[in-house]
Amino acid sequence: MKIAYLTTALAILMLCAPHASAQGVDELARADVKSSKPAPRTAEGHTDFNGYWKSIRGTITGNIGKDLPGMKLPLTPAGEAALQHNLTATIDPESLCIIGGTPRHNASGLPFEIVQSQKKVVFLYFYSYYRAIPVDGRKHTEDPDPSFFGEEIGRWEGDTLVVDSTGFKDEKVWIDENANPHSDALHVVERWTRPDFEHIHVDTLIEDSKFYTKPFHYARTWILGQPDETLAEYSCSENNVDQSHLGFGPGGIRPDGTRGYIDPKPLPPPVTPAKK
Amino acid sequence: MHARFAAFTVLIAGGLLASVPVVRLQAHHSFAAEFDGNRPMRLVGTITKVEWTNPHSYFYIDVKDDQGKVTNWACEGGGPGALSRRGWKRGDLKLGDTLIVDGYLARDGSHLIDARRVTLPDGRIVSGASAGDGGPQVPGTTNP
Repeated sequence: MKIAYLTTALAILMLCAPHASAQGVDELARADVKSSKPAPRTAEGHTDFNGYWKSIRGTITGNIGKDLPGMKLPLTPAGEAALQHNLTATIDPESLCIIGGTPRHNASGLPFEIVQSQKKVVFLYFYSYYRAIPVDGRKHTEDPDPSFFGEEIGRWEGDTLVVDSTGFKDEKVWIDENANPHSDALHVVERWTRPDFEHIHVDTLIEDSKFYTKPFHYARTWILGQPDETLAEYSCSENNVDQSHLGFGPGGIRPDGTRGYIDPKPLPPPVTPAKK
Repeated sequence: MHARFAAFTVLIAGGLLASVPVVRLQAHHSFAAEFDGNRPMRLVGTITKVEWTNPHSYFYIDVKDDQGKVTNWACEGGGPGALSRRGWKRGDLKLGDTLIVDGYLARDGSHLIDARRVTLPDGRIVSGASAGDGGPQVPGTTNP
């Protein structure tokens, strides 16, 4: 009889095992590790950010307010109205193949790659978008053409790469996956560091006096991918069948601040055990 | 004694599940913006078309109901990159093969489901989910 119970126990554990191992797949995120190596440096002595960077498992992604008390953004009345508009009258611009821009890409759970040269730092994103940040001493122009990433100017402050961005679009933009808004008054200052070999970190200051009553911060750390990991081709409008089936807004937001159903109904049980 | 042992077993299994870190990533769009989490369903049908494309892969299956009426359904999966990383290759889907697709119905009620869990003709059960769409986790697959 004990054998029968042992069999039951093993069967239950086997049912769990694929789930556990599935979660161990480093498809887009990686478990965190402690690094024993310092950050590398370029020939010029700057911090070397080159690499393929992935989410750290357990990070709350997609929510630009994650570091605020109660994750509550300091919206102005105009900002609140813009949020309600996004929730009830707009389809996620990214799903319509529109660039997510800054700072949305920093809140994403998707990996990105950095290619760095002496006077330029280039971020390559999962959806085949990129931003090339000049780090050559130039200043902001007087009236930059509005864009999704804004006019981005880089400079070094010691080992920190500071990216100052202005000149943003104010239509067809969500500031994060949860449909929070930003206006054309957005000003973003990113402070990028590489605390050790395995990690890259950003501390972001977000100012938008039209939609937010005060500036706020968003911080995030990513972990280095494996040496052979890189981005693949991704043509967003190749076959965007889903576009005509999407509703407005991101859907529900869960208590942990991420989008999705709180308690979806389960699928029918699998028909056969999963094969190894 | 036996009951206590069984309860212990369930506790251990539950503990293992609970200890698995939850991953929240972002996909091309939110699962909840397209699919109804309260309308899971199973389709069994033969493959009529395969689109191994971005931002999603689609495969289409003919499903026969109890009255013999055949309806063609679209099944939405992750892009080729995501599916390939899970060991699912384009050649795994051949026209005329039978698939079992467990997923969620589109919110607009069209013949479109989220290919959350797919039982391939060779018996493998794979996740077809779009990586990090915020949709339900599905035990027994390489669901992201």
